[in-house]
Formats: sequence, structure tokens, C-alpha cells
Amino acid sequence: MRNATYEAPTPKRLSLALRERGVFKQLTNYLAPPCTQSNGPRRIATQETSMPLSITETNLRNLIDLLVQESKLVVGPKLSGAIVLYQPLTSGAELTLDSLPRRSAKELYFPVCEDILTFKKENGKVKVEDIDRSRFPETVLIGAPPCDAGSPAILDAVFSWDYHDDFYQERRKKSTIIGIACTKGDDACFCTAVGLAPDAQAGSDLFLTPLADGCYACVAVTEKGQTLVQAHPALFSEAPAGEAIPFLDQSTGKLDLAKIKAWLEGHFEDPLWESIADICIGCGACAFICPACHCFDINDEGSPDNGSRRKHWDACGFSKFTNHASGHNPRDIQNKRYRNRIMHKFKYYDDKFGKTLCTGCGRCIRACPVGIDIAEILTTINEKAD
Amino acid sequence: MNTKADKIRAASIDPTYYQAVTEAIRTQAVKLLTEETVVAVVGYFPGRRQGTAIPALVTTPEQAEKLIFSPACVNNLTLFLTKAKKGVLKKGRVAIIAKGCDMRALAGLMGESQVKREDIFSIGIACAGVFGSGADRSGNLSEGNIAKKCRECSVHLPEGADLLVGTLPELSELTALEALEMARIEALPQAERWAFWKEHFTRCIRCMACRQVCPFCYCEQCLCDKNRPQAVESSPRPAGNMAWHIVRAMHLAGRCGGCAECERVCPMDIPLNLLNRRMAQELKELYDYEATTTPQEKGPLARYQENDDESFIK
Repeated sequence: MRNATYEAPTPKRLSLALRERGVFKQLTNYLAPPCTQSNGPRRIATQETSMPLSITETNLRNLIDLLVQESKLVVGPKLSGAIVLYQPLTSGAELTLDSLPRRSAKELYFPVCEDILTFKKENGKVKVEDIDRSRFPETVLIGAPPCDAGSPAILDAVFSWDYHDDFYQERRKKSTIIGIACTKGDDACFCTAVGLAPDAQAGSDLFLTPLADGCYACVAVTEKGQTLVQAHPALFSEAPAGEAIPFLDQSTGKLDLAKIKAWLEGHFEDPLWESIADICIGCGACAFICPACHCFDINDEGSPDNGSRRKHWDACGFSKFTNHASGHNPRDIQNKRYRNRIMHKFKYYDDKFGKTLCTGCGRCIRACPVGIDIAEILTTINEKAD
Repeated sequence: MNTKADKIRAASIDPTYYQAVTEAIRTQAVKLLTEETVVAVVGYFPGRRQGTAIPALVTTPEQAEKLIFSPACVNNLTLFLTKAKKGVLKKGRVAIIAKGCDMRALAGLMGESQVKREDIFSIGIACAGVFGSGADRSGNLSEGNIAKKCRECSVHLPEGADLLVGTLPELSELTALEALEMARIEALPQAERWAFWKEHFTRCIRCMACRQVCPFCYCEQCLCDKNRPQAVESSPRPAGNMAWHIVRAMHLAGRCGGCAECERVCPMDIPLNLLNRRMAQELKELYDYEATTTPQEKGPLARYQENDDESFIK
């Protein structure tokens, strides 16, 4: 649909009721051809092709400066006001590695809000223009812990499933992820419980491990990572890796995800949902800051003569999320909506793609206005499942 | 004992005060449920993580034995009495644990006929304060971790509750950081004030946590969720975000009780309470009206009177 120009039969108001979210999602499924190609990074055998390397902190920051000079979009944790967010970096000095950014890194591929087309009425005709995806920049994400670096690899499946989401895929193709092992955590972290770990390399192209002497051990996990190292050989040394900084134990113990899924399968109507989720207030905080949540809404904004179609984040916690055009709402009360959150993350996504839709980053636990604790809920279900 | 150590000790609240309040709440809640004076008690349970508490909707004396009060009891529980949380509580009289700031919301809801006085048994708390957002919760409540709103609280001993529990410990005088920030911004030229808020609202992701946690945002269809016609853009972009926050501040003017829950729950740390306190100050100056812990007539922006000043209509 590039630069199509067509005549509107009669002047029509472009106030499409696209807020019927469920309906629109179904429409897109039918309009686009299915795509079976996955665009995930190709893994290389690390033993044969890449030696353990190390990089000093100074050179890590120099790497950022070099990448910026190469006109790449470099994104990393940066102090933004009083909080840390993944933001474009203009220099290596801006990188801050002492706290988990408030929002996840998913917005590099799945922005908070983006235009997907623009429309303009000219001489009685409607001119529709596509967004030029070739202008998405070459991007390097640096300083993402495994709970953030691991999420695009989980999301690749849904964005290339029955509809090939170009906006997501083009950005993925053009980005390299430099992950970093996590040496700080708190009692909300539970990555080990969901199959990740503070030093999990899944999803990273290049993986750094902080060492006791202040340097970072460095492993090229994929071809993209190898390319990055080979482009900047002066910054890396083949010095033997020193001692890694030990990770903190997580307060949530190991979970049996298969058992939890089996329990979910048999307990759709369990009273547990009321007891844990009647207090849920139905905001989108948990979904929006989650590295794995990916629902979105599409709205036409502007005026009937001149506007854009925008794709922006949506949350299954919102009361009208499953509202039908008829007025019927299958998830009409809050605990049904919360149940869907758990079901999607620990059963439905596994049914469809063989993956868990959660990286254990703990952001939802920290952000929830009423303290709903997903790690505690999973532990409860795990115990019930025994 | 040197005086400096004494001062530091006095500046942190002894946990025995919270234990006493907890005991009093449990005793009262069990009594109310056993005697069937109420069908439910809305209070707090401890959270799994250190220094956290969560809202609890208890309906049996056994559950009531687990209620607590601690500096982690930050939630404004009156939210669960509004029609936005319809169906969550059984029909009937309900007891509610309310700090002074929460009492202002309760009184406001009664003044707006959202909650009937006879349906509520309010258990007011003589409250020393609660933890601030993002603060270190590993120790006692002290100047280092107390919420900003608590530093300038005037309702440590709220009036109008059916029962007041707790004996307030000695509280130290704390600098009113919020009032200072409000004065600082007030003194800025208009362009800088606009820039201050624009910078904050650009980070807004429209998660609506501020609206969902607010007891006064009880509209069953929020104006900003409508799209026929659309009042505010729903996508998280600077212009729509500014509009959203300005509309909400206007809708709350004169009603907001300053519980600061909106600011606490914002994942982007936008200083929303500052905006709402500024509006409250404006209403006080223009109409001599402010939210109180006892029910009163609706605020000036929500009612019409024959003798309203019309001199501004030209």
C-alpha cells in the first residue's frame, strides 16, 4: 500500500471505531499474508569462533562514542530526570549501569507510539502514505540485563506469526544487543524462576560480565556480536577473564513452569482469581513496563482531512480491552482480566510458541499500585499444583 | 547518652506504635465482623516483600486477625468503595481503615453522594506517616524515608471517624518539601513553568494508573476514553498527554484530598500531587474551599448557586 491514491466515493468521516481492539486485531490477521520466516539472530558456536575477550569500562564508553560517530543510534540506560530509562546516548559518559531502567527495552522495536501511515485529502482524493521503514536507523542497545536482552527473542515469534510486523522486524534486523550480566537485584527479581539467570546470554549478540577488577568479560554470542567486535578490535583485549562479581540469590525459588501451566489449564474458574485480583485497579502500568507484554491499539488521529494512523501500547488490564462493538464484554470484571494476564504469560504463549512470556525482571511487582506480586502468585500456584 | 543520638532516635518512629495500631485494628475488625455490624472490612495485609503492604478486602474474623498497620500502608482504601470498583465488595455496611489523607477522600465521596454515611464504619488512624515512593523500607519510618506528603500533613489525628485508633508518637518537625517546590515553580516565568510540565508529561505513557488509583476518578466512562467525539488523543504523545493531565487536574480541582496516590503510582515519577495541590491552593484562594475529613457540600466547580459571582461574564 505504498503511496496509494484513490478516490473516496463520498466524503466520509474517518472516525473509525478502532477502539474495538479485539475486532481490529482479527482484521489484520485476515488482511496480511502469513509469514513463516523468523528474523532472530543466528547463533554461532562460541567455542570455535570466538575467544573469551575482555573490555575495560573506559573502552566500553569509548565504544559508545565510536558507534555514535558511525551515526548509529546507541541506546542504553541513562539518567532521565530522577529516573533511569533506556534513552539514546550521545556519549559514553551518559551510560549508567547501576540501576534497572524503569521501562523495558522493548520500545526499541515496539515504540510507545508510532505512525504506521499518514493520510491527507487533496483535491477530493485521499492520499495515503506508508512510513518509510528503510529510514529506521542502525541501532545498538548497550547495557541490557538478561531480563531485557532476552525479551526480543521471546517477542520475535508473535511479531512474525500470522502477520509479519514490518515495524518490529525491520528494527530488529537493524539492531545489535550488548547484554550485561546483572550483579544487582532486589526481592522483586525472579529471572531464575522463569528459566533465565543473571548471566543468561539468551537474546544478546554480545554479552558482558562485570569482573571484580572493574573490567568486563566479553563473549560474542551471535554473528552480529562477532561483527561488532571485529569492527572495533582496538577496544577489546584477549586477556584472560578475571573473577566475575557474584550474583545475589533471588528470594523466589525455582518454579515448575510445566506444572503451573497444567494447573492453569484445569483451573480457569478457580476462586484464586478473585482472591488475588479483586484489588487490581485496572491500570496499564504492569503491561506497559513489562519487557514481554506487546498488545497494542491502533487509532486514527488528526482530522478527517489530515492525520495519521497510530499504533500505541494497550493493556489487557483496561476495562474496555475486550469490549465488543455489540457492547458485550467477555472480560467484564477485573479478576477475569488479571486471570488473562497470567494465562497469556504462562499458558497461551507457551501453547502457541513454546516460550514463557515473562523474563522475571520484577518491574510489574515494583510498579503495581496495589502490590500484586506475580512471583508470589506463581509460587502459590506451583504449591497448589503439587 | 549524647543529645545527637537522642535526636536521631526521636526522628524515627518506634515500631511499637505500629504494633499497637495493628492490635487495635484487629480487635475492632474481628468484633465488627463477628457481631455482623459490617459485611466486610477494607484494610491492609502484609506484602511478600520487605516493607510492603497490600489492600485486603476481608469478610471473616479469621482473615481480620491478619490485618496490619505499618508505614507500608500507603494505599488509599476508599478507592474500593467507589462505583469504579463495583461488585468487589458485598452489598452492606463496610468498615474501612483510613489515614487522615484517606479520610478527606472518604468525606469527599460522601459529599458527592457516592458513598452513604450509614453504609460506612470508618476506623481512622492516628497516623505518623508512611513510606515514600522508592524509599529505603528496610528500617523504621524516619525523615530519610517518609513520604513527601507526610512532611506537611495536618491530619495526623483526623476528625470525623467513627472510631480513632492509635496514640500518636512524638513527631519531629519536617521541612515541607512540597510547599517549597510549589513556591519555586510559582516564582518561575510562565514559559519555564510550561517547560517544566512539558518535560514531565513527555515521559507519560498513558498507563492511566493515576486515574485508576484515584478515588475521585469514578466515572464509569472517562471523558478521555471516548472517541465519538474524541476530547483527548489516546496515543501517548506530548500534546495528548498535556491535555490528559490538564483535564484531570481540572476535574479534580476542589475535590482532590491530597492523598498523593497518583504521584506514588506513576511509573514515570511525574510529580502529579504538585499539580493537584496547586489547584487546591487556587480553589482555596478563589472560593475559600478545601477538602476536609468531614463531609461538606460539593466543591465550587461541581455545584451551582444563585449567588455565584458572575462579574467575570462580560
